[in-house]
Amino acid sequence: MKKLRILLADDHIVVRTGLRALLERQPNLEVVGESENGRETVELAASLGPDVVVMDVGMPILNGIEATKTIVTQRPATAVVILSMHADESYVMRALKAGARGYLLKDSAAADLISAIHAVSQNKSFFSPKVSRILAEDYVRVLKQKGAVDSYDLLTNREREILQLVAEGKANKEVATALNISPYTVETHRRHILEKLNLHNPAELILYAVRKGIIS
Amino acid sequence: MTEKKPNTVTSQVQNRRRLGSRAALFAGFGALLILMAIICIDSLHTLGEFQTANTQIRQDFLYRERTLEQVRAGLYESGNIVRDYILIESDADAQAMLRTEFQTIHNETTATLNACIQSLPTVKREPFQHLAVELENYWSTIGPIFALSAKEKKELGNSVLRGDVLSQHAKILAITKEVRAVNNDELNEAERKTTEVFAQFRRRLLMVATIAFSSGLILAASSIMYVGRLENSLEKKYKESLQAQRELKELSKRLVDTEERERRAISRELHDEVGQSLSALLLDVENLTEMSIDDGVFRKGLQKIKTLAENCVNEVRNMALLLRPSMLDDLGLVPALEWQAREVSKRTGMLVDTLEENVSDNLPEEHKTCVYRIVQEALNNCSKHAYAKNVRVVVRQEPNHLRVSIEDDGKGFDPSRVRGLGLVGMNERVSQLGGALKVDSDPTRGTCLRVDLPLPSASSDSGELTA
Repeated sequence: MKKLRILLADDHIVVRTGLRALLERQPNLEVVGESENGRETVELAASLGPDVVVMDVGMPILNGIEATKTIVTQRPATAVVILSMHADESYVMRALKAGARGYLLKDSAAADLISAIHAVSQNKSFFSPKVSRILAEDYVRVLKQKGAVDSYDLLTNREREILQLVAEGKANKEVATALNISPYTVETHRRHILEKLNLHNPAELILYAVRKGIIS
Repeated sequence: MTEKKPNTVTSQVQNRRRLGSRAALFAGFGALLILMAIICIDSLHTLGEFQTANTQIRQDFLYRERTLEQVRAGLYESGNIVRDYILIESDADAQAMLRTEFQTIHNETTATLNACIQSLPTVKREPFQHLAVELENYWSTIGPIFALSAKEKKELGNSVLRGDVLSQHAKILAITKEVRAVNNDELNEAERKTTEVFAQFRRRLLMVATIAFSSGLILAASSIMYVGRLENSLEKKYKESLQAQRELKELSKRLVDTEERERRAISRELHDEVGQSLSALLLDVENLTEMSIDDGVFRKGLQKIKTLAENCVNEVRNMALLLRPSMLDDLGLVPALEWQAREVSKRTGMLVDTLEENVSDNLPEEHKTCVYRIVQEALNNCSKHAYAKNVRVVVRQEPNHLRVSIEDDGKGFDPSRVRGLGLVGMNERVSQLGGALKVDSDPTRGTCLRVDLPLPSASSDSGELTA
């Protein structure tokens, strides 16, 4: 089996060392490079062509989120997992908007990183359970304070199925195959879902799914 | 406190000096006014007296003139009567009438002259008394004529008329002339005297006026000097206070800057160094756990370390966020405000709604910090003082302005009376960026805080996220 090629981006050498030790014990993973700032990461991603980039958020010169944006645009085949200290929505949202597929908290990186790398390499989304929990809790709290009805109830069963698949990172075609319907129908459903939930882009949709505990 | 004392003493001394100068000026101007009033009253009085004296002199003169005139008239008339008496020979009635007439003239003339003499002061009586004596001689010369018999009259009549009467006449007329001359002299003398008095009055008036004028000049000069001195010291004080104000502003700006810089430094240090080291530690623990042979005690120990380290990471992250949220530097103003709103909602139960319109991610550093800190302080006030249930934070970017409003539905206050340190601090931050802060509140409703910050034109474009 072909090993997954991984690029580590973190400005702290101790963190990189720890991550490398963790990853190299896995037989099917290979760390192909390390970088300590955003720009270097973008350059290495271009020259090494890794399958997955494990990216710190706070890095000098160019931060992790900006670097993610560039890498995802330049090499759509490369998946990015964000490593962050913060479980807050603002970070998660930015990371998703930038095109990251995974979002991990540093304090739980060791436990989740391997699963996250495998998930994103298969084009799925992955979040630390703690992130999902915090986002969901915040969402529920706001709903309670505002006394609003749960928008999820507005969705049909078919729309809920599609929401889950889309949030997992599946393209329209894949969803269509899985549900045995036309990709155009999927697109229509997607548009309806966004309208009903008052969302504006795929990143918000993924975030919504995480909050609702539809994906983790 | 120790510095305050000498200041108070100095100001007391200054106060006393100022009071002294003021009293001197008051006294000076008062004296000048009194002097002028005295001059006025004195002049009016003197003029009045002068006029009275003048009138008196004229009246006296005329009175004497009239008396003399009457004496002369009496003389001529009595002469005529004597002549008629002598010429009339037989008519007893006519003679009696003439005699009575003569007697009347005699009496009237004598009475008039005597009255005149009585009205004169003793020293001036002499010429008039002389006249009176001569007149008395005349009467006593003429009187006996009326006692003559018809025969005697015929014999003596003409000689008496020509001799005694005429010579007496001439004599008295000469005396009246003299007296008149004396009277004229008297008049001249009196006029000379009044002229002299008037001249004296003029001299006195001139002198007093000169004194008043010169003291007025001196007073005016000294008050101008005094005012000048006051103006100078006032200007100096004003400049000093302006300088102090400038320095205070500079100081407070530096204070705010320093606080922010320190917070950021500590926050970064905690986040980057401590936080990352703990993250690395966690990874190492995980590695060790996987590598270790399955020893329950060892694994348990590692698990404990892991939990501890995780707690530490959380603690450090929270501390760093409280000092200065990394979102502000990593992601920009909007995510930081949204995070803050969520945190405050979570912590206080107050629902914080944020609305950002067209806010660029790369606002200038000071503007980001300023807006963030103001919203922080305002939310703090909303929950701590206003007991608000809902807060709405709106940030809107316009071509050259950044507008922020924070509106709550809590207990308001009277902004003209309540001026907490928090508001002062906000105002300070805003004014440092040349902006304006407006507090609209009322105890009967909530509070609305509005901030308007001018933006440098370069940052007004809605740009991309930066590191």
